[in-house]
Amino acid sequence: MLEHWSVALLQSQRNFPITPSLHHSITPIFPMNEISLQTRRQFLRTTVLGSALSWTVPAFLADTFTALHSQAADSATQIITGKDATILVVLQMAGGNDGLNTVVPYANDFYHRARPKLGLTAQKVLNLNGEIGLHGAMTGFKELFDSGNLAVVQGVGYPNPNRSHFRSTEIWQTASDAVKVEKYGWLGRYFDNCCAGADPTVGVTIGSQLPEAFFAKTLTGICFNNPQNYRFMANGRRSPDGTDLTEAAYEKMNEADMSGAAPDENAGGSIGALAAGMPMQGGKAVDFIERTALDAQVSSDEVRKIADRVQNQATYPASQFGNSLKLVAKLIGGGLPTRVYYVSQGGYDTHTNQIPTQQRLLGELGDSVKAFVDDLKAQGNLPRVLVMTFSEFGRRVSENANGGTDHGAAAPMFIVGNKVKAGLLGTYPSLAPQDLFEGDVKYNVDFRNVYAGVLESWLKTKSAPILGRPFEPLQLV
Amino acid sequence: MLKSLSAGRWNYETAAHLLNRAGFGGPPAEIQKLADLGPDKAIASLLDYENIPDPTANPVWATPDPEGMKNLRDAIQKATPEERRQIQQQQNRLQNERMLELRWWWLNRMAKGPRPFQEKMVLFWHGHFATSVEKVHNAYYMWRQNELFRRLATGNWLELLTMAGQDPAMLIWLDQAESRKEHPNENFARENMELFALGEGHYTEEDVTEAARAFTGWSLDRLTENFIYRPLFHDNGSKTFLGRTGNLDGDDVMAQIVAQPQAARFITAKLWNYFAGQPPPDALNDSLAAVFRGNGNNFKPLLRVLFRSEEFYATDIIRNQVKSPVQWLVGTARMLECDLPPVQISWGITRTLGQDLFAPPNVKGWDGGITWITTNTLLARYNDAATLVQGTFPPLAASDFAHKPGGQGGLKIERQAQRVHVAGVTVEKILSPEERASQDLLVAALEHRLLQTTLGGKQQKALREFLASKTTLDDADVLTAIRLVMATPQYQVT
Repeated sequence: MLEHWSVALLQSQRNFPITPSLHHSITPIFPMNEISLQTRRQFLRTTVLGSALSWTVPAFLADTFTALHSQAADSATQIITGKDATILVVLQMAGGNDGLNTVVPYANDFYHRARPKLGLTAQKVLNLNGEIGLHGAMTGFKELFDSGNLAVVQGVGYPNPNRSHFRSTEIWQTASDAVKVEKYGWLGRYFDNCCAGADPTVGVTIGSQLPEAFFAKTLTGICFNNPQNYRFMANGRRSPDGTDLTEAAYEKMNEADMSGAAPDENAGGSIGALAAGMPMQGGKAVDFIERTALDAQVSSDEVRKIADRVQNQATYPASQFGNSLKLVAKLIGGGLPTRVYYVSQGGYDTHTNQIPTQQRLLGELGDSVKAFVDDLKAQGNLPRVLVMTFSEFGRRVSENANGGTDHGAAAPMFIVGNKVKAGLLGTYPSLAPQDLFEGDVKYNVDFRNVYAGVLESWLKTKSAPILGRPFEPLQLV
Repeated sequence: MLKSLSAGRWNYETAAHLLNRAGFGGPPAEIQKLADLGPDKAIASLLDYENIPDPTANPVWATPDPEGMKNLRDAIQKATPEERRQIQQQQNRLQNERMLELRWWWLNRMAKGPRPFQEKMVLFWHGHFATSVEKVHNAYYMWRQNELFRRLATGNWLELLTMAGQDPAMLIWLDQAESRKEHPNENFARENMELFALGEGHYTEEDVTEAARAFTGWSLDRLTENFIYRPLFHDNGSKTFLGRTGNLDGDDVMAQIVAQPQAARFITAKLWNYFAGQPPPDALNDSLAAVFRGNGNNFKPLLRVLFRSEEFYATDIIRNQVKSPVQWLVGTARMLECDLPPVQISWGITRTLGQDLFAPPNVKGWDGGITWITTNTLLARYNDAATLVQGTFPPLAASDFAHKPGGQGGLKIERQAQRVHVAGVTVEKILSPEERASQDLLVAALEHRLLQTTLGGKQQKALREFLASKTTLDDADVLTAIRLVMATPQYQVT
């Protein structure tokens, strides 16, 4: 069995990049008579007609591999190594955060004239440079700014700004021009282009649905709110020794049949035509589903193991958002081979009640991210991590009659990390009425330039194929 | 090409395949009926649904309400800003309630209705003309669009394409209602050709601009809640569109589109892919398109040929299509002869599996096929099986129902979901006492009903081991066994 393995593996070398992953859970000794889930997956992969479907090679096999074939080390395909890979954490501020009261031009006359009630004075902000200050609740971000770990990209937006939550969020998620509709997300295109052969945990969303940013030709990434729920929920019938019988049965019923060459013994007819949406020639839908079932099992075991084992080393605010970042920190500390984490904080659609709402949300954001940074520092993982916030739009310069503001356009983005080019990037947009676009802040930086910066300098990949055309990368690190 | 399947090849397996694809599947008795009818009559029993009475009532609010709209408009005009906000909140709540009702109404038509093929076609058109309530914000319009698809499901392509373009939900969705000659909005003109009728590469950018000019005037009267033609919006100049010149209007554009040979190929390929589970090879699609055009671009005759053809029953077609989330949910209810779970849970299931009815992610709809399967959606199918069958469910979070991250809209529904009762499956309905008493008969009965094929050797062994772990099996054990069969890769295909 082992011999068949090695041969198959060596023959398929050119198709499959080496991605040592989940190395925490793989025992280095491989017993001949006990086939682990990982090895079962590898078997499936190599027997189905040289498929190029995403797969991982267990660490011990990869080591053997590298020893045998030095050219593997020169592989042009991006190699994802659990320990050294950089990580991007995307934080969505959902609802359209009011940038003007977040990065505040507290000394600006136009600002105060437009916002007699909502305008924040010097006393209410955390001064950054004598003209601009952060919202008073963002003490966490102020500490990060002072310690050189926070960059504020000012005036980010895009041409033909759209003021619909639905449509503008889609534009940010797909990095499309405002006049086009793209099917796939920018991170999905990153996964398609750069992460073939990666574990499905290459993208992790803390939430109940994958964001549109993850939509891809070969959909990958996992999502969960609670690691305890990302699993097959057994029915609780136990055998005398405590094994859950339903879970045991389910696992066996989702093992691929390894005895024959064709996993599906009911495949009487030809495995002929290329099926719609299938990534490989001649496969059957059940084959793909079998592999996904194994991926689900392995990733669910791994996530839960890490969540149980790893301790946080900072105190996070007690909120859904704080808990999400807390969980991400655990997963990073536990060595999950993830490149992109995605977390969302909702509630920013402040048509009314803006003062108390922003106080709460921005405070939560600043404190949670500060705790996150401290946690990663204690782990020794901070140098690998970059955090990026975005919101679907800023809000109008003038306040409305209800203690709030309405949908606008350009707004700032925050970039956090210890490799970041800290400080205020770009220029603060002019608030003079003649410089506004239909009452909204005009953008100075296209968000695609920020994405390009992240893709090129952090995720180390060419951004033009992912963004659809070249965008000058903003220097972020 | 498209030779009829020989009558000798018609059997239980082909009948099951027909019911799974032309409908949402069904219990063994229903499949057997179709097998006994022979291919022509079986197909007719599904396709000629006009002969089947459909007494299902419409939602009570599914009717135009011009007086109500006028009162609402007057109220808003007279209101203070604070009152306006309250009116808006009330309207939002009303629309959310109606959308829940609408989803329940349609899901039940699919799960229990007497015309499964018609509903399967409505589902096709819903994905094809993908329109989302998240922009339309009006349950009555969403219902109306759904009814349009029902009424013209297997009719004439020119008629359906035109009516779909004049449909109120569509006029809002693709911004046609506001388009004027001074600055025509190209959104509808473009998507109509790119996504609905021709496909990219079969028209030029100029065609898009000219079509947009021609469509000006197509608008929506929000008081009468109807399509209205506004002459003042219309660009009366000469336009050249797909080779035709004149003072073209929207009707002319639609006619010129459907007259293109590509129009037939485009829609027949989509239909084959939807029913057969994979795109047609070119030669096959050319034949389908020829049948379609030869029948005046009418769908019923084309579909009759499709379901009758040898190609449809090929071995690489049968049991090789991933069930869409809706097919998964509705098909399960049909095969297990049980009710759908209450609407909050049924809706939550379709959402977590990736197909939120009336809210496709964008106008491109859902890709379908293996894109329905990710680690998350697969685990969700395996866990939701427990909900359907046993009446228990994995914890659903408020955020599963919320439209906005942060779960604001979802808390109410989460609380509702925790209070509702899921009936689950009644074992006596689907298993005879003999089948219950014998392990062999039980496994065979479940395979027959749920998969229409057998499990793999290892899978059968595991299922038997589970059944053997107790000396007598109670209902709960049988339901767990059903759930285990549903938590296999084979159950996810149809």
